[in-house]
Amino acid sequence: MPEEKRRVVITGHGMVTPLGMDSEETFSNASEGKSGIDYLKAFDTTGLPCRIGGEVDDGKLEEFERSLPKTKLKRYLSRGMRFMRVATHEAAGQARLGDIEDRSGIGVALGSHGDNTAVQDIMALHRFYDGEGHWDMQGLMRAGGYPYGDFFRRKSDVATAVLSMLYDLGGPNVSIVSACSAGPQAIGEACYMIRSGRCDVMVAGGCESTLNFVGFVGFVLITALAERYATPQSASRPFDRKRNGFVMSEGAGALILEELKHAKHRGAPILGELLGYGSSADAYRITDTHPKGLGAVLAMSAAMEDASLGPEDIDYISAHGTSTQQNDLTETRAIKEVFGERAKEVPVSSVKSMLGHPIAAAGAIEGILALMGINRSVMLPTINYENPDPRCNLDYVPNEARTQEHRRVLSNSFGFGGQNACLVVGKYEG
Amino acid sequence: MNGWKSSAMGNVVVITGVGMVTSLGQSPEEIFKALLEGRTGIGPIEGFPTEGFTTKTAARIGDLDPKALGISRRDARIMDTHAYMLVKCAKDAFAHAGLDGESAPKDGIAFFAGMGCVDYRVEDLLPAIHASMSNDGSIDYGKFYEEGFREIYPLWPLGMLNNIAFCLATIALGVRGENTVFSPDADSGAQALSEAALSVAEGRAPQALAAGVSEKVSPLNIARASLSGILGKDTCRPFSSDRDGTILGEGCAVLALESGLSAKQRGATPLARITGHGEAFSIGDSVPDSKAIARAMQTALEGAGLRPSDIDVLIAHGDGTPAGDRSEAEAVNQVFAGADRLKVYSSKGALGHMLAASSVVDTALGIQMLRTGAVPPTLNADPIDGSINLNIVAGKAVKMDIRRVMVSCISHEGQCAALIVEAAG
Repeated sequence: MPEEKRRVVITGHGMVTPLGMDSEETFSNASEGKSGIDYLKAFDTTGLPCRIGGEVDDGKLEEFERSLPKTKLKRYLSRGMRFMRVATHEAAGQARLGDIEDRSGIGVALGSHGDNTAVQDIMALHRFYDGEGHWDMQGLMRAGGYPYGDFFRRKSDVATAVLSMLYDLGGPNVSIVSACSAGPQAIGEACYMIRSGRCDVMVAGGCESTLNFVGFVGFVLITALAERYATPQSASRPFDRKRNGFVMSEGAGALILEELKHAKHRGAPILGELLGYGSSADAYRITDTHPKGLGAVLAMSAAMEDASLGPEDIDYISAHGTSTQQNDLTETRAIKEVFGERAKEVPVSSVKSMLGHPIAAAGAIEGILALMGINRSVMLPTINYENPDPRCNLDYVPNEARTQEHRRVLSNSFGFGGQNACLVVGKYEG
Repeated sequence: MNGWKSSAMGNVVVITGVGMVTSLGQSPEEIFKALLEGRTGIGPIEGFPTEGFTTKTAARIGDLDPKALGISRRDARIMDTHAYMLVKCAKDAFAHAGLDGESAPKDGIAFFAGMGCVDYRVEDLLPAIHASMSNDGSIDYGKFYEEGFREIYPLWPLGMLNNIAFCLATIALGVRGENTVFSPDADSGAQALSEAALSVAEGRAPQALAAGVSEKVSPLNIARASLSGILGKDTCRPFSSDRDGTILGEGCAVLALESGLSAKQRGATPLARITGHGEAFSIGDSVPDSKAIARAMQTALEGAGLRPSDIDVLIAHGDGTPAGDRSEAEAVNQVFAGADRLKVYSSKGALGHMLAASSVVDTALGIQMLRTGAVPPTLNADPIDGSINLNIVAGKAVKMDIRRVMVSCISHEGQCAALIVEAAG
């Protein structure tokens, strides 16, 4: 006889987004349909066809960091990791993570890609390179060499190692780098680790900051970003007929996942249950999603099967909804394929309309917002929905949040290159 | 405990296919033969100048021809050595296991990988820099922002995403099952193997691929390792009293895993079983302390239901760093106290440190040991450090009865993992 399945509950969560320095502030702003998108301040965007993004406020970040315990590890923290530290602080506090005695039973799974090389670094390095393979190493060394910290902020396992050190976590320690699916895949892998008995508690989530020149120009070059917009706030318009690209943003989302009995035994707050996880690959083209959304269909179905649920059990879908022509159409098709007749009855919305797309952090933030929505009976809206697209004809919760009781949410993430990951989050019902 | 229990897992997990590329060859048999003969893949770095670097050697693979791998010119522009290695090994493992035919639906095949950091190629960005030069030779930032950046190949950014090589491999094979990409050090390959094994054991996927891929040896990756203080001067000397650091290697291994039932139904030959996995993180130290390494090994043994004396060969991480080898030796002595016949081998004296690939390559070598009953010599181990107290296989290959092999790996940030493979029958 197989042993009773170990259930995974959520005992804490935290986030940093363009709409707030914690979960509460973000959720509250999102439920009012506010946009966190504006003209970029981090670098001069003159001449670029897209000049907007969802930035986390520097002043607030620094203020918050001053309130955290001092650490010598600060020089190794990428900007994304600085967000993650703030988000984890919130989540760990809520879950009372510090009270747990056996630290080897607590692990970390984080979706993060490390910092991009700064344009100043590239330029500095190029001064010592002749273009034909020869480096002027002596010159480079005379100029002070290449800063040690810059290499380390690019290594994704430095982020997970730093989290382990800050919170004294001796369990499994993994970093995941699967682009837009990195966050939910980290949460999913963490869930597997708890279920299979490898540990009892996991800090899981994703963090990202690509609003720097190299990261941003990269996405300008692949022409994935919104270039036609009347105002920054109206640029991200998932499922709207006039959508024309995604808006890049930054942030972090952290969850404390815990085995149910472990959480009960120590009297931790049980905020919800992680019911299912599914992932898939499009295996189609590196630049395009599968036209029929085959990968998306497989991932959604796998997540529901993992949760032992069917389409009739899902009350709301937190869409990947990036605001690109391709994703929103493909996602709509895939939802129709999976949900059949029921597709038009299930509310689907994309908080990327307000938060933009923070890549590895997206799925983690969206999963937490979905959970908060369940506990408050609020479905967050898709803002900027003005021009219906006849091919995208589902209930997208347009423009205003909806007060409606719901118990189970499917949260979608479909990444660059074709890696997909879906989570099913549910109300904790004993 | 931070590992899984094979007795509670459900399906037996067997390995039915292996693809491998290292500096010593492009197939498991070729590589293992070269290792048995005591050949080294470490040599002077060619292709880029190394003046200024204290380390001027590495274990590099020869050129892989993208055309021969069926890769289009368009895709090749955003690929590099690491991506070619992954596609080649994934195809080889797939064919070896007979998964390339119709015997299993590809939509359900899972794929997990451990991959290194992806560094940008200077050559890709140079045209943009040249287009942004002022007359006095300095860089005009305004020019760069307005015009210069357009000189960069539009799909260049994709090549900078760590998961793109992986996605190209899923496309090459047509597999659509569950997946993820771990990064960047030795533990990430072990993690990929562990997740693939669990996926099969728990019945989520009937077949699963597990990959480990090294970084391409480049000026940036040498500089990164050098600044970490892990590189030796000219070669890697695992467990030797003369050891002074590791040497970077290029390589990749992909294993095809499936349930015993799936192998039987498809008529695939099991090469080995994978039965144990353990992992741990050592808190607060940059080099894992021996306790964390021991905890990973202990957990793997418990999960497989084995005693220390059941293990015939330990393929150690043995990266030739003074502190790393000492910690690992201490851990082995703690866990295997009294297991006098345990033979210890490290591949890094011949193949260098392949980071994310190393644990998967070592597992593939473990399979060769199970099948041939031979352990290659650990290159450059002489003179063996008298204080480590291990049975290092050195000097020449050893023939023996091998039923069970443990693979140990350690990351430079503190992650430790151990895996156990056993003879198939």
